[in-house]
This record gives sequence, structure tokens and C-alpha cells, in this order.
Amino acid sequence: MLNQILLVPIFLPMGLACAAILAGRRSAAARDGVACAAGIAAFAACALLLGGVAGGAEFTLAIPGVCGRGLSFKADGFRALYACIAAFMWMMTTAFAREYLGHESHRSRYYFFTLLTCGATIGVFLSNDFFTAFVFFEVMSFTSYVMVVQEESPAALRAGETYIAVAVLGGMVMLMGLFLLDARLGTLDFDALTAAAAALPDKTPLYLPGALILFGFGAKAGMFPLHIWLPKAHPVAPAPASALLSGILTKAGVFGVLVLTGRVFLHDAAWGNVILCLGTVTMVLGAVLAVFSVDLKRTLACSSMSQIGFILVGVGMQGLLGAGHALAVWGTGLHMVNHSLLKLVLFLCAGAVYMNCRTLDLNKLRGWGRGKPLLAVCFLLGALGLAGVPLGSGYISKTLLHEAIVEYIELAAQTGAPVGLYHAVEWLFLFSGGLTAAYMTKLFVAIFIEKPNTPAAGPKRSYMRWPSALAIAIPAFTLPVMGLAPDAVMGRMARLMQGFMNGSDPEHAVAWFSLTNLRGAAISLAIGAAVYLLFIRTVLMRQDADGIKRYVDCWPKWLDLEELIYRPVIEKLLPFAGALVCRVLDNLTEWTLRLLRLTLLRPRPISPRNEADFAPGDFTPHVRRSYTLQRIFGSVSYSLLLFGLGFCAAMGYLIVILLTK
Amino acid sequence: MKFLMLFAVLLPLLAGAVLPLFHFQQRRQREMYVSAAVGATSLAVLALLLHCPVGTLRLIPLTATLEIALRMDGLSAAFAGLVAFLWPLASLYAFEYIKHESGDDRFFAFYTMSYGVTLGIAMSDNLLTLYLFYELLTLVTLPLVMHSRDVRSVKAGMKYLTYSIGGAACAFLGLMVLYGLGDPTLRFVYGGFMSADGNRRTLVLAAYLLCFFGFGVKAAVFPFHGWLPAAGVAPTPVTALLHAVAVVKAGAFAVMRVTFYCFGPAVLAGTWAQQTAMGFAVFTIVFGSAMALREPHLKRRLAYSTVSNLSYILFGVTLMTPAGLTGALAHMVFHGVMKITLFFCAGAIMYKTQRQYVPELAGLGRYMPVTFAAFAVGGTALAGTPLLPGFLSKWTLATAAMDAGGTLPLLGVAALLVSAFLTAAYLYTPLVDAFFPPKGVGENGLAQAQDPGLYMKVPFFVLMAAMLALGVGSRGLLALLARIAAGRL
Repeated sequence: MLNQILLVPIFLPMGLACAAILAGRRSAAARDGVACAAGIAAFAACALLLGGVAGGAEFTLAIPGVCGRGLSFKADGFRALYACIAAFMWMMTTAFAREYLGHESHRSRYYFFTLLTCGATIGVFLSNDFFTAFVFFEVMSFTSYVMVVQEESPAALRAGETYIAVAVLGGMVMLMGLFLLDARLGTLDFDALTAAAAALPDKTPLYLPGALILFGFGAKAGMFPLHIWLPKAHPVAPAPASALLSGILTKAGVFGVLVLTGRVFLHDAAWGNVILCLGTVTMVLGAVLAVFSVDLKRTLACSSMSQIGFILVGVGMQGLLGAGHALAVWGTGLHMVNHSLLKLVLFLCAGAVYMNCRTLDLNKLRGWGRGKPLLAVCFLLGALGLAGVPLGSGYISKTLLHEAIVEYIELAAQTGAPVGLYHAVEWLFLFSGGLTAAYMTKLFVAIFIEKPNTPAAGPKRSYMRWPSALAIAIPAFTLPVMGLAPDAVMGRMARLMQGFMNGSDPEHAVAWFSLTNLRGAAISLAIGAAVYLLFIRTVLMRQDADGIKRYVDCWPKWLDLEELIYRPVIEKLLPFAGALVCRVLDNLTEWTLRLLRLTLLRPRPISPRNEADFAPGDFTPHVRRSYTLQRIFGSVSYSLLLFGLGFCAAMGYLIVILLTK
Repeated sequence: MKFLMLFAVLLPLLAGAVLPLFHFQQRRQREMYVSAAVGATSLAVLALLLHCPVGTLRLIPLTATLEIALRMDGLSAAFAGLVAFLWPLASLYAFEYIKHESGDDRFFAFYTMSYGVTLGIAMSDNLLTLYLFYELLTLVTLPLVMHSRDVRSVKAGMKYLTYSIGGAACAFLGLMVLYGLGDPTLRFVYGGFMSADGNRRTLVLAAYLLCFFGFGVKAAVFPFHGWLPAAGVAPTPVTALLHAVAVVKAGAFAVMRVTFYCFGPAVLAGTWAQQTAMGFAVFTIVFGSAMALREPHLKRRLAYSTVSNLSYILFGVTLMTPAGLTGALAHMVFHGVMKITLFFCAGAIMYKTQRQYVPELAGLGRYMPVTFAAFAVGGTALAGTPLLPGFLSKWTLATAAMDAGGTLPLLGVAALLVSAFLTAAYLYTPLVDAFFPPKGVGENGLAQAQDPGLYMKVPFFVLMAAMLALGVGSRGLLALLARIAAGRL
């Protein structure tokens, strides 16, 4: 096959990024055109790849020597599919950005960096060794920083600070892990990792590199306790960028975790437990934060964190279930795909809201969406999918994940292992699903159902142009197709993806809408309804003096891990201790020298009469000379002249020596 | 071809020494003169690189065994090539920069002379020649450090002199041991000329440490790094070229020569001397970066960053493996290119806006786009971002350390990464502030700030292109350095 196609979706957007910035100097329309063309071209190339892979082909390409170690790329089912989704998201967000950023400044910069990020992200997804993945991962981290701070508001700059700090720290820790892994396994190649790790009799030495690499990828995925950047960066970025950050950049982090779990730690229960714990905390914490939030995009960002937690729970179950981990593999892969598409729809809807209202506060947005059926339907489709309502796409993947947990509990019960903890995980899983339903209801009710505080003034006008509407509607209407025909669409996707995680077909066909599966969803939704009615509508809403019920933000600010621990330690404690130590060490030599001069090497006091002896360039100090002579003998030129003469003499001597030999 | 070596060393020395005699009335004439001298020297070095002369050029016999002689081998070629690439760029930059200083004749005289001395260090045939040029380098660069002749610069100059001469004296003691117990000609041989048997081993190892720290003074190894930040008072072309490339790399180069070509890894590997040297290098890596982070003065911050990065090179050398030396050489070359860019940026900012402190840079990015683009590329490269050269040399160093095994190399890798994180912290803060200033900060007095003239911009473009090219396509260069490090060139 034509393996060079692999390079197209990576380097074409990067090239067109430069073209876009050049075109931007001439006309804004040309630049937007170039940016859209880049998205479409990348998508076309990825679609070609996906088509080829679905037909049984495989694309591999190695470029030795570039960047020292050489890059290698491969498209198998999972990678081609994810590259395709990434390109699709870029295509849609770029189309949407045209209107969204219509009146903003620095648009060329946005397109430039977003296209660079596009190439780099697809590069991560198509990489075939950790080195290549790392290279593109780092490029992605840096270029996406500019997407976060695009609006240059103080909040954006502060969020950007956190984002870049976590990204750089994560990158460095990951690099250390890669060095260790390379030293202990002798390879970083994805194809060789499984065999190399399996050949080790004892896996203990792999845990340290594994943990370090997990730190790096987990930081990008938004895994607890490295999630701090996520709820801050997503809301402040422009909506199209938030969709990308949340929908696809976090998946680049998950991608790395999948490689670790599916290859280096294949069927490793201890590893699975660690991921499961971190995933559960992330899942619950994100959902709780989302319930408390009164900001549209912040709710969605916290929801992203929670959904990443769901995915990580699936990853953890892969490790725990061992060879029979087909359900977990399917659930993980499908939930990733779902979440990417869902967040694309939801963030673009939030973008449509923001570009009209210029606010994301639910109290101010209240009722704005009434009488806007297209937006309402798209948002509803996204909300239903995310909440795991049957016939939505999220139901399918969440059911698979739930099944995986239940399956493990049954297996463990048969062997007599303690299962109490896993029962707790199951219930937390259902509880988080319920919270998802609750906060999505909160958003939908607030924006599209409740009556506005003040009746809308002025004539009715179109709130979004057709390209933006299309960018929201296309992914939104894909969602029910996926949910309604699970076998035809989602099953096929899962089969494409499972090879990457070393998975296989499930032993028996999945009964998507069986009673037990529906029961899980029903429990979850019941919890959601209870939370919404009994908690959100009562505790989180207060009646104002004018009789209007308002959403209140009562999540304690000081519970923020970043403000509570990370920033004080990094900004206060470490610099203080470090500066103290450094200053002492820096002056150590200087102080020693000074001490010596005060004691052993004390200079002899110079009487004024002798001082002239030390004047430079003055050979006969006691003779009074004319002013001109002093000028000559005291000048640097004179010293240089002497120096030059000396050198000439030395060269003459050299020539004599050389000639006489 | 052998005489070309003498030509390359002597031409800039003489051209610099007689420069004040011409009494150039116009700036243009002096520029032509200096460019001709520097250009001819760089061409000579290029010719030497392409046709490496075999054999030794004996210049001055001193005793029956000792002599002053020149010779080119792979290690010389790497250092000389780096210097010859950067010197014309730095001279071009200096032509414009010096307009806001005075004493042009004095400046260019010593600036050009240092070129010859540095090449002399690169092409030394034996340790004595190297020692001679090493001392000379201290002397010819001293007037450059003291150029502005105010109290601060004179003090810095004295500090520089004390440290350097003191270091050289230590190295001289080591040289005596090498002379007495090893080869009395002191000629460089790959793998060293000391025998590995147990005879007076402690003395030999102590002598190595004396040499390491003695020559290490110029490479700013802790605790002898103090002169480097202080020497930042010199005009920026001096700081950029000499205190980021020529002088400090001469120190690192001398350590390479001493380690691999005099004592030899066979004698040193696995001893307490190696552990001590490596320990100090590893510590300096983190220490330099930490100091850079808390230093608000931009040039001094970059100087501390140099302290840290020089120890990357020393760390590679003290691994005592060919792979480690490859990494060290790669970092020597790459760091030279990256750091000179950053110093040029600092200089351009000082030249155009008189601003020297990091917080003052806020908002400048838009007014000086070329300068800050170069700063961004250089800073990102130095922090070790893939696709740019800094990443490559760090990767090479780290893999070499992993292959060497042991606790200290592993700690070294961790130190590399911690330092990379700190590098990102101390370089991105000014960068981010320059492009995304906090609201209302630094808005006043920015309007007249603009990019410097063509003479200063050309080096920026050349260096940025060089960094991108080195970052992506330096497979051939790395292979070449690996051959040099294995003693096959």
C-alpha cells in the first residue's frame, strides 16, 4: 500500500498552518479558506487510511534518523479511526471558528497554532513507538498552549500558566520513564513491546518507568491528581479550541495509557488496580464538580474530566480481567469515540451560546435557548448521549464498561477473592452516571426551558450562520445513528479498535438492550433524577429578593487542589528553600576567597609613595614626563603595539625555525 | 595543508594586534578589515575541515620532549568548526551592537585576537600547547570583560582573572604528574597515555581531579562558576560568543582532552575520581538552572543557564564512554548555537530599549518580532523540545547514561530532566510575558522599540535556520560525532 499517506494528515496541516499565516496578511477570507482546506485535506487522508485499514490493509512507515532516533508511524484500526476522528473534529471546529472568532483579534495566530496542533495530535495517534509519540506529544503540548491563552484575559493567562506547567512537567517525567523503559526492555517500538515485556520473568522493574510514563500521559488526559489544569483551561479557551482540548487532546493522553496497559502491562492485575483507583476518583470528582458548577463551559470541562475517569475505569478493568477482557476493551474504545463526538457537539453549542450572549453564567443565560429548536435538539442529543440514556450512543459504551465491572466481580467471587471494593466501584460508576444525567439536565433546563429573567429585547435575528450550524448538526445527528444501530456502527468500530489493545471478540454477542443492561441504565438515571430534584433544585438554587430562583456556586474555593497544595508549594515553599540553599552555595567560593584575603593573603598596605609603582604602562614612575609622552606611554594602543611587536618577533622566529629545518 | 593551521591561528592574532595601528577613521573601513580577517580565517578552517591534514606541525621545540605544535583530529575539527561557524555571525552582530559602546578599536582588536587563540586551543597537538593557548585566552579576553572600564566591569574582570589563573595553576599541577608518570611529550593519544596498573594510583587520580577542576573553572563547574555570571557585564557580543561558546567550551574541550586523550577512560572509569567529577557535574546541572530561575537580570540568567548546560557536557565526558562523549560533543555544538541566539536576543533588547531585567520585557514581543521569534526558537530548543536540537543532545546524553548504568548516571538523567523543567520555567516566563503581557503592564515606552538593523537580524535568521536544520536532520552530524568520540577520526 501507499505508506506515504501516513505523512499527509500530519505534515500537511503543519505546512498549511504557515500558508494560512501568510494568506492572513492578504485577506481574512483566504486564510479561513486555507484553514478549512487543511482540515478537509487531513480528514480526507485519514478517511483513506481508515478505508484501507477496514479493507484489511496496514500502513507502516519508518523514517530513520530524523530527530536522532528516527520516527515510525503505523495505522491499524484504532489509530486510523482516531486519526480520522481527530481530523473530523478539526474540520468541524475550524468551520465553526470562522464565525465564532469573527470579531476577535489574533485570528491568524489561532489558525496557525490550531493547525500545528492538528498535525501534532494526528502524529501522536499514528505513531508506532513511544519516541515518535513523545515527539509529537510535546509539540502538541506547546502549540496548544497558545489555543488556551488565545483570549489573553487574566483568567486565560493564569489557566495557561497552569496548563504549560503541567504539560512541561508531565513531558519531563514521561521522558525519564521512557529512558528507563528503553533501558529495561531494550525497545520502545509498540509492536515489540508486548513480546519484550512478556519475556521478562519479573515485571517489578517495569513499574517505575510505567508510573513515570503514566504521569506524563495521565497529566494530559486529566487524570486525578493532575487534573488541575483541565477545569481551568477548557472554559477560558475559545469554544472551538475547548472542543478540541476536551474531545481529542485528552484522548492523546489516554492513547499513551492504552499502550502501557495493552502492551507493557498486558493482563497485569496490579497495574489495573492502580488505574482503576485513579480512574474512579477522577470519575466521581469530575462529576461532583460539574454538579456544583454554574458556568456552562466549566460544567462541560468537569464533565470531560469525569468521562475520562469512565474511560480509565475501563482501562483498569482491562488489566484486571486478564485474557477475557473483551468487554472492557470494547467499552474503553467506544467511550473514547463517544466522548470525542459528544464533547464536540456540546462545546460547539456552548460556543453558539457564547458568541451571542458573551457570557457563560447560567443565571444570565437562563432561557436564552427558547425558540431555537436546532440548537436545542443538538444539545439534547449530546446530553442524552452523555447521560447514557438508552438509544443514545453513550448508553452503549457505558453499558459495556458496567458489564466489565460486573463480570470481574463474578469472576472474583468464584475464586473467593474479596469483592467489596469492586462493588463500591460499581456503585460509584452508577452514581457518577447519575450525576452526569443530573448536571446535563441542569444545563438543558437552565438554557432551553426556564423562562428568561428579562424578556428578550429587540428584533429577532439569526443567531448563527449556516456553516456553524452545519458544524454542530453533522456530529450531533451522527450520535443517534450510532446509538440506534449499535451492532452495525459501534460493534464494527470496536472490532477495528480491539487489536490495538490486544483484545479479541467477546465470547458471545452483546445483547445491547437486554433487561439487565437496561436495569443498570435505569438505576443510574433514577439516581440522576433524584439528585436533580432533591439536590440541585433545592440546595443549589436560592430564591432571590425579586422572587427568581438563582443557581448558586457553593463549591468551596479552597478545596481546589491547585490553590491548596500545588501553587503554595511551587510558588512559595520551593523557591524559598531553593533560593536560600542556592544563594549560600553560589557565594561559597567568593566567601572563601574573601576570608582568605582577610587572613592568609592579606594585602600589604600600600603607602602613597609606592602606589605609582603599580600604575599600568608606566615604566619610569619617578621621572616627570611631558603630557604627550604620558599620553603615549599610558595608552592602550601603546600596550597593544608592544604586544603586536612581540608577536611579530615570535612569528619571525617561527619562520626562521621552519626554514632552517 | 599543515601550514594552513598556522595561518588560521596567526592571521586573526596578527590582524587583531595591528588593528589599532591603522587608526580607522570610518566605521565602514574597520568593518571591512575585521570581516576580511575573520572571513579568511573561517575559510581556512573550512578548508581544514574538508581536507583534514595528517600529521603534526612542529612550531617551537622547548626541551628534548616538549614542543609547541599544532595538529588536527576529529575533536579539534568539531570545536574549530563550531567556532568558525559562529565567529563571522558574532562579528556581524558586533558591528552594529558596538555603536552604543565606545572604544571600537580596542574591542575589535581583542575580539579578533581571541579567535586565533581559540583555534589554537582547538588545534593543539599536546597538553602543553593547549595550556599555553588556554592561558593566552584568559589574557586576551580580559580587556573585553573590562571593556566599559567602570568599577563593576573591572571587578568582574579581576574575578575572572583570579578564577581562571587559579584554575590553570591547578591544571598545571596535574600536567606535572602527567609529565612525570606518563608520556613526557604530553601528546594527545585517544585512550590516554597513562598505564592502568596500580602504580601510584591515588596520585594519578588526584591529578585528574586537579585537571578536571582546573580546566573546569572555564567550564564553570560548581563551585568555580562565580566568574561567569559576573562576566556578563561585558558587551553582549563578548558574552554571547566568548562566555557562551569560545571560552567556556574551551574549558569543556580541555576537560575532554584531559579525560580521553591524556589520562584515558581505562584508568579513570569506575574510580572515586570519576564519581567525584561526575557528582559535581550532576549537581551543577541542577544548581545552575535553579540559580537561573531566581535571577531577574536577563543576561545573568542566561549565564547561569550556561553554567548548567556546560555541566551537561561535563556529565557526558565523565561517563567515560564513547556514547557519553558523543552526547557531550553534540551538546557542545548544539548549545553553542542555541545559547548564542539567546544572548544575541538579550543584546538586541538592551541595544534597542535599554531594558535588562526580565520583568521589563513584558509586551515587547509585538514590537520586536524577529528578536523574540529567535528567542522563542532558542528557548524552546534549550528546554529540550523535540524537533529542535536541544532535545537531541539531551536524548543522546541520557541514553548514554542509561547504558553506562549505575546510580550516579541515573541521578544524572533525573538531573537533566529537572533542569529541563527549570529551563522551561526560566525561559518561558519572559517569553510568555513578552507575547502575552498582563493587562496594562509595559504599555508605555514600547512604541519606539523595534527590531535592530540588518547586521543584527541576519545572524538571527541564520541561527534560527541552523537550529531547525540541526533539530530535524542531524543524523549525519551525530554519526560523525560518534565516530570522533570512538577515536576513529
